[in-house]
Amino acid sequence: MRSIVYFMVAFGLIWVGVLESATSSVDDFRHRPDVGDVEHQGSVERILAVGLVGNLVVKSIITNGRRTVIAEGHETFSESNQVLSRSVEGSD
Amino acid sequence: MPSVNSPVGLKKNALGLWSVPTAQKLVLMFFFAGITFGATGLGAMLLMTLLANTNLGKDESAKHGISLSESSRLGGLAIAIIVFIYIAGLSLMSPYTSGLERDATFLYLWCAVLFCGLLGFAEDIKPDFLTPSLRLVAKFSVLGALFWLSPALIPVSIGVPAIDFFLNLPVLGWALVTVFAVGFINALNMADGANGLVPGIALAAFAVFFMEYGRPMDGALLFACTIFFIFNVISGWYFLGDTGSYGLGAVLLCYGLLGVVDGHFSAGFMAALFCYPCIDFLVSVIRRWRAGRSSFSADNGHLHNRLHQFLKARVRSSVMANSFTGLIISGSTAGLVLVIHLLDVLPSASDLWYGFFVFEVVAYLSVLKYLTSIQPKTQYSDPL
Repeated sequence: MRSIVYFMVAFGLIWVGVLESATSSVDDFRHRPDVGDVEHQGSVERILAVGLVGNLVVKSIITNGRRTVIAEGHETFSESNQVLSRSVEGSD
Repeated sequence: MPSVNSPVGLKKNALGLWSVPTAQKLVLMFFFAGITFGATGLGAMLLMTLLANTNLGKDESAKHGISLSESSRLGGLAIAIIVFIYIAGLSLMSPYTSGLERDATFLYLWCAVLFCGLLGFAEDIKPDFLTPSLRLVAKFSVLGALFWLSPALIPVSIGVPAIDFFLNLPVLGWALVTVFAVGFINALNMADGANGLVPGIALAAFAVFFMEYGRPMDGALLFACTIFFIFNVISGWYFLGDTGSYGLGAVLLCYGLLGVVDGHFSAGFMAALFCYPCIDFLVSVIRRWRAGRSSFSADNGHLHNRLHQFLKARVRSSVMANSFTGLIISGSTAGLVLVIHLLDVLPSASDLWYGFFVFEVVAYLSVLKYLTSIQPKTQYSDPL
């Protein structure tokens, strides 16, 4: 029984990093549509969630996500509120 | 259902073998995992600790020439679970993160990786479940099908005119790459004999790939391999197992070929990065052939076996001698390539990397010759 709890704790802690990476990625697209750096997005919560090396990994994943999404032409940024919106023309 | 003891229970299993108390090792492992990957790293480390302590996939010490303790062969499974959780979660929750299947090539690639991993998993759970020849045929079939369906993975030029000529012949090029691919995966499996050796090489390779491409999958693999590397080097409780060496071997092979095909890396760079498993494999096959034995029979004549014996006489702890062996070899080959890449001393697409590869080969042969000359012959050249 105790081992099940240990496994649940392990999966829960891993999930913290998954959540942090995913929310960082979504937040990045919602609030920083320009293809600038993501240097200032590191926070105490993120460091605690994914660590020092993990912080660099998450930043690179966000940058890669931006490049991929923009290169594929499926997404465009709205000029007015700088919120990512789906482009009908761009999608297949 | 395998029984799982509490992590504290590990202490009494191993006290007789390790010079540093197990509790201290656990603290050290969790400390490094926390520093590098925060709460996620702690979770991954806890998962590995729990899996290492299951009765499933236990490996007797005699099966691995260097290891003196009974360890788990589920390292590859642990890496696969962590990568799966991370990628599945990220893909489901963030629509802005690219998934695995960017095109058909990646779809076939991951299918081949999955099959290779499952092939190894069957062997980890039930040793000798498949005969060596059947495993070889299965690997040839899967990788042959992969390169047939994804000819984009076959490089057209590696900077060596004679080989380039053959690579450009349709069927011969496919056959050459398939043979190389099967050999590479076997080489990585054969080199998995010291703590941190193959994990160190994989870690350096994924760091290079992640810095170049930034793909989420590379990041997840870098994360899982880093945690496994920390665990493996400090404790020695884990082997990659066949799941890990086949699965990671297939990933590294395909990423390496893709990198060469798209021109980001030269073939010389990849040769330098994966020098140790490839050269050790070739030298081992030749050594066994000259001794009149099967080229694929196991023995203790690898460089890592001899280096470990050399270090064991000078280091009191057997685990430390084992880990130093892996760290020295992976650090002086793939680790050095990573550092040179980080410092941007030599462009990754340069053919000058062949020069570095030749240097590594000369260093390998020199050290092997020296260690062979100072150690008894029969102890290391006999079959296990």
